[in-house]
Amino acid sequence: MTANIEIRNVSKQFGAMTVLDDLSLSIKAREFVVFLGPSGCGKSTLLRMIAGLETVDGGEIAINGERIDHLPPGKRGIAMVFQSYALYPHMTVRDNMAFGLDNIGVARDVVDARIAEAARILEMPHLLERKPGQLSGGQRQRVAIGRAIVKEPKAFLFDEPLSNLDAALRTRTRIELAQLHQRLQSTMIFVTHDQVEAMTLADRIVVMNNRRIEQIGSPMEIYERPATKFVAGFVGAPAMNFVDVAIDRSGEVITVTFANSTVIATDIASNQVVDGAHTFGVRSEDVRIAPTGQGNVNGKVDVLERLGERTLVYTRLSDGQIVVASDAGNSRVAVGDTVGLAFDGRKSHLFNETGRAWHARRA
Amino acid sequence: MSASATSIKGRAFGDRVLLALVILLSIIMIAPVLWVIGLSLKENAELMANPNSVFHAPYTLKNYINTIGTSSVFRWVLNSIIVSGGLTLGTLILSSLAGYGFARLNFPGRNILFVIVLFGLAVPEQAVLVARHQIFSMLKFHNTYHGLILPGLSASFGVFLMTQYFRAIPKELDEAAMLDNASRFRIFWKVLLPLTVPAQATLGIFTFLGAWNDYFWPLISATKKDMFTLTVGMASTQTNFAQSEGIGFLMAQAVFAGAPILIIYLFFQKYIVTAVSGAAVR
Repeated sequence: MTANIEIRNVSKQFGAMTVLDDLSLSIKAREFVVFLGPSGCGKSTLLRMIAGLETVDGGEIAINGERIDHLPPGKRGIAMVFQSYALYPHMTVRDNMAFGLDNIGVARDVVDARIAEAARILEMPHLLERKPGQLSGGQRQRVAIGRAIVKEPKAFLFDEPLSNLDAALRTRTRIELAQLHQRLQSTMIFVTHDQVEAMTLADRIVVMNNRRIEQIGSPMEIYERPATKFVAGFVGAPAMNFVDVAIDRSGEVITVTFANSTVIATDIASNQVVDGAHTFGVRSEDVRIAPTGQGNVNGKVDVLERLGERTLVYTRLSDGQIVVASDAGNSRVAVGDTVGLAFDGRKSHLFNETGRAWHARRA
Repeated sequence: MSASATSIKGRAFGDRVLLALVILLSIIMIAPVLWVIGLSLKENAELMANPNSVFHAPYTLKNYINTIGTSSVFRWVLNSIIVSGGLTLGTLILSSLAGYGFARLNFPGRNILFVIVLFGLAVPEQAVLVARHQIFSMLKFHNTYHGLILPGLSASFGVFLMTQYFRAIPKELDEAAMLDNASRFRIFWKVLLPLTVPAQATLGIFTFLGAWNDYFWPLISATKKDMFTLTVGMASTQTNFAQSEGIGFLMAQAVFAGAPILIIYLFFQKYIVTAVSGAAVR
């Protein structure tokens, strides 16, 4: 069973504080959608409103065309995996999984069959008679997912379910979740502030900030054509480089002028951009390390991050702005060196004062 | 000698001192109990002549036979069991329900009501005694089991303890159960209540012991001999300063009186130690 979910003009207040403001979103059946944003942006609140754990102050939510925002959580046909897993500590794994089915009077043999199937999928038949206190963090995670699976819900909701796991287990569970989605072909909504989780899991990412949606798009759309400066800075590790520039839109494409008078030609069409203060944006992989004086600008190396396959070079320009460049894994650059930085203007972005973005035509 | 060897030796000495202290305290605690048992096994006349005769033979079971034959101690033990058990059961039920309500339900006046409940902790029983006595007289509740049980059910401490315990349980469990289509009562009964067993054990033990040892209210409410609780009954047998009923007889009654609570202690030792040490830490 799967479902499309419509969120129309939804808003939410906690007292005098508005948490979500006139937010609309359409999620297709079988889609894996990730709500991505910093803490306090409202992503978990939105998820909880879909689940029925928070009331909807304005607008409506519908599943398969049927309005559900007035229904109690148990009647919405959805399952949720909590950040803390919220397993019932005094019940065995089997009883945890059976509890929801027992509440709606599912026959015992059906309950047993569903639990056996979920346990097989999640490779945990040997855990069924244990209690949550006897399980590791990863095993509890599986049980929480199993508890959701047995309900055969219309949609799965995940509220930062990987944040309590260590790095290695998080990576493994992430892959397992992707496989689970492929296998179950269910609608899944996943809340996280971790952009790596969002990029690797999502069919579409909903980037949220400050009570509203900043951008909805596929992971690569979000990465390559961020709608706002916030999205450009939030998605991607390291964050996009931002340098304050003056623009010249007299030609077909914009040229930008750095504080040291260096001019770079971009591939951004001039006719879309209006005058004003602008910020030039370029990702670290589009900034090449060059010999001193042979790049667009020079920078002094502050920090090196050696990641194995590449080295991130954190440089400081003469006006104090920081630019991160990506160099080879065995980079010879050392902290304190002065290096040239060559920007790939064809893959650059431009942001105005309000954060609105323009992109290179081929980006 | 290395520093670690010195440290281990120092610790061993400390352990021995602690052990000696524990033995000493145990003797201080157990000596009166042994004395009571010793006195109960002696002839009254012999004790009157020489109180120190407890330390040597002859010993006799005559006092126990007299107690079984003539004393109302079994009736009083039964009364105490009914009153203490009823009060404990009622307190656990009411405190759990009230604690859940204060911790989880949003209703108008909740905070004010909780403060009023907490005020109950500060009001001594003596302050409300006259009014309570009048009301119970009018309702003809004196010399009844419910007359002995009802006042104890307004357990401010129990409500407070259970409220705090329910508050400490993550709300995500309620939410998970709501998504599992459980009703509010089912969430209370099947999910939250089982998690409060440690608090229930603490509250139950303290309530039972408090009710078992209570003397003040039963002394006022139970005026008929067959409605005496153990404490009132025991006191009533000491009718004069000379204790002419016989010290041995009184002590035999005391052994009968102490036996049930001792048995309870043996069965629930683990919980009692946890409850008392938990309360001390808090």
